[in-house]
Amino acid sequence: MTRILLSTFSLLLLSATQALSHAQEAPSIWDGIYSAEQASRGEAVYREACLSCHGQDLGGNSNSPGLVGMGFMFLWEGRSVGEFYEKIRSEMPTDRPGRLSDKDYVDVVSYILQKNGFPSGDSTMQPDVSRLDSVEIAPQ
Amino acid sequence: MSRRSAIPHGSSTSILSLVFPFALAASVSQAQVEEFTPVTDAMLVNPPSGEWLSWRGTPAAWGYSPLDQIDSSNVNQLQLKWSFALDDTGAIQAAPLVHGGVMFIPSARGVITALDAASGDLLWEYRPAPPTEEFINSGAGTRAAVLLPGAFAGVGRGVQKNIAIYGEMIYAATETASIRAIDARSGLLAWETQVADPTLGYHYTAGPIVANGTLVTGITGCDRYKEDVCFITGHDPQTGAEKWRTATVARPEDPGGDTWGDLPLRFRAGSDAWVAGSFDPEANLIYWGTAQAKPWARVVRGTDGDALYTNSTLALNPDNGNMAWYFQHIPGETQDMDEVFENILIDVDGRKSLFKMGKLGILWQLDRETGEFIKGTDIGYQNIVNLDPITGRITYRDGMIPRLGEELDMCPSTSGVKSWRAMAYSPDTSAMYIPITLNCARNTFGPTERALGGGGTGPVRRSNYHHPDSDGNLGEVLALDIPSGEVKWRYRTRAPFNTAALTTGGGLVFIGDWNRTMSALDADNGDLLWQVRLATSNQGFPISYSVDGKQYIAMPVGTGGASWSGSLPRELAPELSRPNNGSSINVFALPD
Repeated sequence: MTRILLSTFSLLLLSATQALSHAQEAPSIWDGIYSAEQASRGEAVYREACLSCHGQDLGGNSNSPGLVGMGFMFLWEGRSVGEFYEKIRSEMPTDRPGRLSDKDYVDVVSYILQKNGFPSGDSTMQPDVSRLDSVEIAPQ
Repeated sequence: MSRRSAIPHGSSTSILSLVFPFALAASVSQAQVEEFTPVTDAMLVNPPSGEWLSWRGTPAAWGYSPLDQIDSSNVNQLQLKWSFALDDTGAIQAAPLVHGGVMFIPSARGVITALDAASGDLLWEYRPAPPTEEFINSGAGTRAAVLLPGAFAGVGRGVQKNIAIYGEMIYAATETASIRAIDARSGLLAWETQVADPTLGYHYTAGPIVANGTLVTGITGCDRYKEDVCFITGHDPQTGAEKWRTATVARPEDPGGDTWGDLPLRFRAGSDAWVAGSFDPEANLIYWGTAQAKPWARVVRGTDGDALYTNSTLALNPDNGNMAWYFQHIPGETQDMDEVFENILIDVDGRKSLFKMGKLGILWQLDRETGEFIKGTDIGYQNIVNLDPITGRITYRDGMIPRLGEELDMCPSTSGVKSWRAMAYSPDTSAMYIPITLNCARNTFGPTERALGGGGTGPVRRSNYHHPDSDGNLGEVLALDIPSGEVKWRYRTRAPFNTAALTTGGGLVFIGDWNRTMSALDADNGDLLWQVRLATSNQGFPISYSVDGKQYIAMPVGTGGASWSGSLPRELAPELSRPNNGSSINVFALPD
């Protein structure tokens, strides 16, 4: 009986350890890392600062890459949300890079993630590069 | 000297005759040009030496001014005479015109400015206004009317490279796929005609030319899949009425239609006509370039056929748009090596020739009456193709046709050895002066959705690097002897050159770089004779003109435009920087 209790305790301990370990793992892009409200704000920023080059449907043109679908995943799969955020923040809009606030940039990132089918959640994505670096852009 | 007279501010646009208005015109005239001589066909073909009536000086597009007051002996005395800020809300690649002592300058978002070319005084500014809320809500009968400016696919930042002048009008082509006639005296809109549906991506970045009384424009924005293709149109300059439309893509049922394999019309994309053409009045032919097929890579496009009439020079009759001949420079092009650029018309040993250079850095010489290949000079910076010197036929080198998802080491990168920055030809030195960008890349081409609205260029993972023969330089002015193609001299800089070249009767070459430096070189030997730093990147098409016997040099500066204007310097010359505003026109002359 004692042996059974010990085994049960060991299993519970193992499960708890695994759960803790899982909780400390990098968040998934499929966990809802931005809020729908944030993406809505990002859409407004996109329309003002990005649309004229990347298009209303985010499909891009000859001088501006597409930001949705197959093309987006070809360019960004396996790279981090932090890298994507930094790319946009340092290089966009191309006529005046860096003219938006960090909040605007991260809101635009959330809008682009939403348009690519990555789900929204309860939390607002923060312009924290080290944290965003731990989130990989990956298919489900 | 009086070139203007005051009229009330905020003049109404009473002579509007809009066919399909996206924007209600709001011309903010401040004065008007008082003494204005209408521009005739004869004047366009043989302009007075002090005038600059076509985007590259004349319809032959030499980028050459015969003025010789400024020469190698005094160019180091050049002084800034005046400067004028241009619209900073978009990209600037301005090609100014000068007529009767008035400079007309296109800048971003459809703005056109008329200035006293000697003093820089503002005469008028035409600035299209956005549609009013009332207009948007009126339902005005078209789906386009409910769109806000810029609310359509793939427009860019309102670039208008060039405008045309003819009769009493300035003609412009817009980012919303319309063409406009603006009264050159007052800056008031005379008419505007919608040419294509911008919601499908159609727009203009090149302006029109006038050839034998016809206003000719070439459309762009044909990278996304739709049920139509790119085209060049001819219009009545009095009314804007379309006289003809010539497709730049062979439709399935057309001759050459099989060069796209069995792709239906909707998947025949590209062949954009995004650089203005040239005109030979004796042959009565216009010469217009077309861009590469889209998506860029054959494997993504879905055909390894030649894809007519992409990456070609087209010779069209300006009266009816009929194609007299075409020459396809790179059949079945597959790496974004565009050949759309300027066509320079030179008679060589009595043979009427056309010279042009694309991204690969091959200087083509064609017979402009027949389209026959005469000569090709590979300047030696590309590793992608071989050129048959007899036939002019291109073949790809082993392993240089991209495969999906496989990295390709290519020179040049998709930025090209040459791009829209036009070369110039001097009859005095019999040399071509070519703005070159030295670069290579490791590129990986990816897939796109093959569906209406999809397509595009196709994604490319890029890693740019310095050309192995560049010594770390990005910029080069290359002087080639015409017709031999032999190198006369090279002038290199760390920063890439970012303007067209201008050459003059004073034996000079003017050019500007991304790093704000405008330079004057000796056309004979490439010696640096004079430099000045300007507000931001030199960008556009410098010109020379005279007013009351005094010669001026004008240099546009600005930001935006073609993508490498930011990416190449940032990645490969990170120690360089430039302000992200400061668009302006800067005019220099010798001391009074």
